[in-house]
Amino acid sequence: MVKPCKSQWHRNTAIFTTLALIFFLNISSALAQLDGKKIYKANCRSCHYLDDKSSTGPGFQGLSGKHPDKEWTFKWVKNNVSFAKTDSKAAEISKLTTNTMTVFEGVLTDDEIKAVIDYLYTNPTEEKKVDVAKGGSGATTSEQEGGINPLYLVLVVITVMLIIISALRSVKRNLQNTYNEKHGLPPLEELNWRQWCSRNKRTVALIVIVTTSYGLQAGWYALKDIGVYTGYKPEQPIKFSHKIHAGENGISCEYCHSGVLKSKVAGVPSANVCMNCHKGIEQGPTTGTDEIAKIYAATGFDAATKTYTKTPQPLKWNKVHVLPDFVYFNHQQHVVVGKQECKTCHGDLTQMDVAEQVSPLTMGWCIDCHRKTEVPGMKDNPYYEDLHKKLAEKYSGQKDSIITVARMGGIECAKCHY
Amino acid sequence: MGNKNKYWKGIGELTENPELLKAKESEFAEQLPTDIFASDAAAEVSSSRRDFLKFLGFSVGAAALASCETPVTKTIPYVFKPEEVTPGVANWYASTFNDGNDYCSILVKTREGRPIKIEGNPNSKITKGVTNARVQGSVLSLYDGARFKTAMAKGAAADWKDVDAELSKAIAAATASGKSVRVLTGTVLSPSMRSAIGEFLSKTGGKHISVDAVSQYAIRKSHLNTHDKLEMPTYHFDKAKIIVSFGADFITNWVAPIEHSKGYGIGKKINKETANNLSNHIQIESTLSVTGSNADMRMACKPSEIGNYVVALYNALSGGSLPVNGKVDEKGIAKIAEWLKANKGKSLIVCGVNDVATQSIVNEMNKWLGNYGSTLDIETSSNYRMGNDDDFTSLVKEMNDGKVGALIMYGCNPVYTAASSGFASALSKVDVKVSMNTAPNETTAVCDFVCPDHHYLESWADANPRKGHYSLGQPTIQPLFKTRSAMESFLLWAGNNSSASDYIKWYWAKSVFPMQGKYMDFTSFWNYSLHDGVAEIGTDVMLKMEEGKKEDKKKEETKKEEVKTAVTEEAPKTNKMDVSAAAAMIAAEKSAPIELIIYEKTGLGFGDNANNPWMLEFPDPISKVTWDHYITMNPLDMKGKYAMLERQDMIGDMATITVNGKSATLPVFPQPGQARGTIGISVGYGRTALGKVAALAGGFNAYEFVGTNNEGTMHYSAPVTVSDATGEKFAFACTQQHHTMMGRKIVNETTLATFTSVEKQHWNETEMVTMFDSTGGHTKVEPTKANLWDDHKRLGHHWAMAIDLTACNGCGACVISCQAENNVAVVGKEQVAKTRDMAWIRIDRYYSSDMSKDKAHEEGKGSIDMYLEMENPTFENPKVVFQPVMCQHCNHAPCETVCPVLATNHSSERLNMMTYNRCVGTRYCANNCPYKVRRFNWFNYNGNYRFKDINPTQDELGRMVLNPDVVVRSRGVMEKCSMCVQRVQEGKMKSKVAGEKLHDGAIQTACSQSCPADAIVFGDINDTNSAVAKMAADERMYHLLEEVGIQPNVFYLTKIRNSDEVVSHEKHQNKEEHKGSEEHKEEHKEEKKEHA
Repeated sequence: MVKPCKSQWHRNTAIFTTLALIFFLNISSALAQLDGKKIYKANCRSCHYLDDKSSTGPGFQGLSGKHPDKEWTFKWVKNNVSFAKTDSKAAEISKLTTNTMTVFEGVLTDDEIKAVIDYLYTNPTEEKKVDVAKGGSGATTSEQEGGINPLYLVLVVITVMLIIISALRSVKRNLQNTYNEKHGLPPLEELNWRQWCSRNKRTVALIVIVTTSYGLQAGWYALKDIGVYTGYKPEQPIKFSHKIHAGENGISCEYCHSGVLKSKVAGVPSANVCMNCHKGIEQGPTTGTDEIAKIYAATGFDAATKTYTKTPQPLKWNKVHVLPDFVYFNHQQHVVVGKQECKTCHGDLTQMDVAEQVSPLTMGWCIDCHRKTEVPGMKDNPYYEDLHKKLAEKYSGQKDSIITVARMGGIECAKCHY
Repeated sequence: MGNKNKYWKGIGELTENPELLKAKESEFAEQLPTDIFASDAAAEVSSSRRDFLKFLGFSVGAAALASCETPVTKTIPYVFKPEEVTPGVANWYASTFNDGNDYCSILVKTREGRPIKIEGNPNSKITKGVTNARVQGSVLSLYDGARFKTAMAKGAAADWKDVDAELSKAIAAATASGKSVRVLTGTVLSPSMRSAIGEFLSKTGGKHISVDAVSQYAIRKSHLNTHDKLEMPTYHFDKAKIIVSFGADFITNWVAPIEHSKGYGIGKKINKETANNLSNHIQIESTLSVTGSNADMRMACKPSEIGNYVVALYNALSGGSLPVNGKVDEKGIAKIAEWLKANKGKSLIVCGVNDVATQSIVNEMNKWLGNYGSTLDIETSSNYRMGNDDDFTSLVKEMNDGKVGALIMYGCNPVYTAASSGFASALSKVDVKVSMNTAPNETTAVCDFVCPDHHYLESWADANPRKGHYSLGQPTIQPLFKTRSAMESFLLWAGNNSSASDYIKWYWAKSVFPMQGKYMDFTSFWNYSLHDGVAEIGTDVMLKMEEGKKEDKKKEETKKEEVKTAVTEEAPKTNKMDVSAAAAMIAAEKSAPIELIIYEKTGLGFGDNANNPWMLEFPDPISKVTWDHYITMNPLDMKGKYAMLERQDMIGDMATITVNGKSATLPVFPQPGQARGTIGISVGYGRTALGKVAALAGGFNAYEFVGTNNEGTMHYSAPVTVSDATGEKFAFACTQQHHTMMGRKIVNETTLATFTSVEKQHWNETEMVTMFDSTGGHTKVEPTKANLWDDHKRLGHHWAMAIDLTACNGCGACVISCQAENNVAVVGKEQVAKTRDMAWIRIDRYYSSDMSKDKAHEEGKGSIDMYLEMENPTFENPKVVFQPVMCQHCNHAPCETVCPVLATNHSSERLNMMTYNRCVGTRYCANNCPYKVRRFNWFNYNGNYRFKDINPTQDELGRMVLNPDVVVRSRGVMEKCSMCVQRVQEGKMKSKVAGEKLHDGAIQTACSQSCPADAIVFGDINDTNSAVAKMAADERMYHLLEEVGIQPNVFYLTKIRNSDEVVSHEKHQNKEEHKGSEEHKEEHKEEKKEHA
């Protein structure tokens, strides 16, 4: 499970590129507006596809033809349960399947529902999955499987050179001895290594200096790596693939990790969240029924009768991103207030089959970001109004006038340690 | 100028005690604990330099190897997550605390389904959002490993079904043999519980008897004399301008301390405009109580003399001439009478003596003053302290006669609390003995069956503390053990299978819902009541209903035979006592040369929570002693007989006291203010069957000394003989060793008359510092202007705290609240004795001293003599002040500049931050802190085996009380008050998410939230409209040790004592200043000479 140590340089460049890429992507991404597509992805996609394939619910292909009345659709989406009581058509549809559709009243605003209906009535199609199918090499992969580590190349070259040198030396020596013998000169004396050392002091000193400094450098980096688990990618009790769920199916991160909007922890979703969809979806594209059956076992679900009959068994997941106990980190602060994207820290999960830690999660890494980042959510938030005005005044004359997290006090000890 | 004066460190040095002189030679007063780190065994093993290098190499290698392996952390999410739970976010539930002693409507903070903190419920009109130390500590008792894990039969764990079956068989057998069934409880405030007990008794026949650990039955009984009602009045301390208390410690123990301390605090919270509303409190008592130490005027007398004071006051008020036995302070009484007469209807007289005669006269006085209906209310009466001493005495008689077949005990521990009444021996004559206590105690140890109740945080409950005021309690966690709600047990035995929640709902639908007029249907009434935690019903409607009910009841009662569900209303109608008869009874009481007074401690109360380590380590607000049981005695009585614990000496003498042939040997603690010729000992100690922590505290059961007086009520004082020192020594663990302020402005105090009539500089002068300039001249400047550092311009919030010392009554709710909120470790007696207690907030208590600078000046005393005498408090009757001290978050903090690793530094919001993971434990900061508020972790208290029995976090269960948002500190790091930075961050976050400005009061620290007197106020001082900004601008404001110039962010407000005396410091201070400047001039002259 543990990857071999990688060169620090490689890692740093990779992280930096990732961060920089994500940073630019962030800035370019449009801020909050009613994007029907987004709402669809976050709320509907988990049960309805855009094509005619049915998932937990039916596919959306040809929706505008089936239910031409947008008003009717709106009522259905808003609260299908109460609507079915008053509307005959709705009552009929609700009887088609045992799965009841989520009631979105209170979850989505009226405007949001309207936006998503508008979007769906444009007859959108599924996005092509070319990227996903290729399993493309994202910016995060700093090393490719099958590639040769340059260090080994150097070692091989050095070994070959050493062999050549020693061979040449012995050839030279033999020739000299033969020559000496012919001319009656004494043969070259056999030097043991001590004698050799004492005669070649400069070479010895050079070797010592080089090896010591290399050793110290290697030691230094090794020490810096203690407790840093970039690339940690533990096997999980269920072969859950983020690539399939978040990538191919486009389920938004917040759907499962709902704590991210409300709490300091994003949270590993409880098994009942899986069951929202997997009550209907019994088979996966890669592992068939094996892995999904594990969810059923955990929740005590009997797939044959579609009822929860057995004793639930909690799942023990392996935590990927582990912060030390003395660090307080709050997701809500970063995602809701600071409007940061998940991938800024977690990498592009839509490309990962197994979740992996891509950021070092060191304090230096946190602080670097806090020093560079201007908080996008700050300007419109009345909470920051006064502070923002005062800070803008304070830094207005300066070359670098952006109000970063650090300038608001975001690198003070007691913001994360208490 | 060489200093030729010799200063002594202690009395021992002055008298040239050879041991001390020897000890003086070494640098440290006590040995550094090197033995722990390098024991003899370790020293014997010789290790060479080579070995060292080997070890070094090995450890580096091991560390490198270990670091290659990623530690696997498991995370186990819910299988089915409850809708209302979001991991990482706290849920709050309204509930009710009631242990038979304290009642409090509370909010319980739960994280991931476990309760971790208690706060007051602001919706309650009774407790108004406040708590006390015991309620704060009650959350820890939930996680007490000593609790019963399941039902017990004959001392062994048993199945509930078997116990129920055996029990009903045994009860049936007992009743069949003609014996009766009795249910003995503490005060049951829950109407549903009383109803459930009624159901049970209607099946078996029998009687419900209430008993209180510390009885106040005389108050009820005296109202039978004066008002024809066996009821407890409701006291409104907030409405009283003059409060006279005869031995009632109403702030921390008497009747309803939480309610009273809130009300009392309102009368003490003033500003310049409302200064004349300051209440005037007179206390006449024997041992120095928390209430007495807050009094504006206090008189100390023997317990047997309190009655005389009451009669004397009655005479002075009514002009009567009832007989007064012995001498009383006539002048004081006349003054009190004068004040009372001027404040008719706005005064309140209370009495803590459990004596019907005394209480009756107190009632008469309140009646005469027209206080009934304004400051105390017998119509809207309270239900606290239902214990009926008469009933209890007859029960013991019945038991002794072998007439009781089955005794079921719930919410009481009579084997311990009624130790003097022969209850234990009487109990052995009962056939079936059942206790329903949650945790083992002295009673459960001798019971046949134990049917453990849930902890109150696990169960449904309701309460009716006052007429028309109801509150609900709901479970905040699944039961930890196989316990069963006591209500369900009673119902089950009565053949009713309903659950506690259903039964309470049924009861409320039947009895509470019809009384209110706010909600149309029961479901919404129930839901809102459960949400709010309380249901306050209009008193008028309720009273009408009550009357109607009474008539119904009378009709019913004629039908029913022996069933009694509650003790109210129907007590034996004794012959009424008139005032002269009462006075005669009081006059007949004899005084003894030495009298014992039995009192309750603030932490332990009546003793139910004696296995709670928080409460045991909680320093007594007055003596500041932790953990131990002791005898309090006036130092003047101790002189020459016992060690006086002077000057930081904490080794005391033991003495044996004997009351009625029972004796106990306890250490003697000098207590200034203790009435001469009296000693005090507290209840709650000497536990035999509670648990490991209670056993550590030791002591003696003071309930053994409780007597009964003529009227049959429990009597909490007795004549006593005290032996000389036994020769045995005892080391106290005391958190405060200097008891006076030595003439410094630590607690600034003035009188009301001074405050209202004299300019500020006469009573709250800013300490000035002298600044020299380059020309050799000097000026006096404010300390804030003499700076080593430049001020930073800081934007945004500026957190600050203001503490009103007039309102603070020293009760210590903040101390336990802070401990619960911030995971403060319990360290045990041994460590406290080494001044290693970990409390982040402490309450300093200072006594006044007879010596003052003025007095020394008049008497021509030198400074050494003066300061020596200043160290001694006034022994007879000192004035007492309290001052909560936590980290002052100085803007120019001295701790920050000395930290070599920058582990402590300042935030842009002006908090002094402490970073544990950066701290290397040099302790420079603690040495440089003038307030001594930094605490060092000498051990890993959460893991070290030495603290296994002491620290609750060392077992799986106790650990559940920890606040997950605060780091548990490990060995070798410094810690201190963080101004609850986790709450500050949470509050800010809520505003950010809501997209609104942070409003004042949205963030409260643990101490400010739990303060019953609103003495501690927290907020953003940059918000000029905030409460804290207003307090900081008050002319009463001063900083602690202002002259050091470190600009603290804690603002203290001068204590105002209600007195007509005008005290001005001006004259004295001017003189000193003058003298000071002369001295400086001389110095300069000398310097100039040298230069020349």
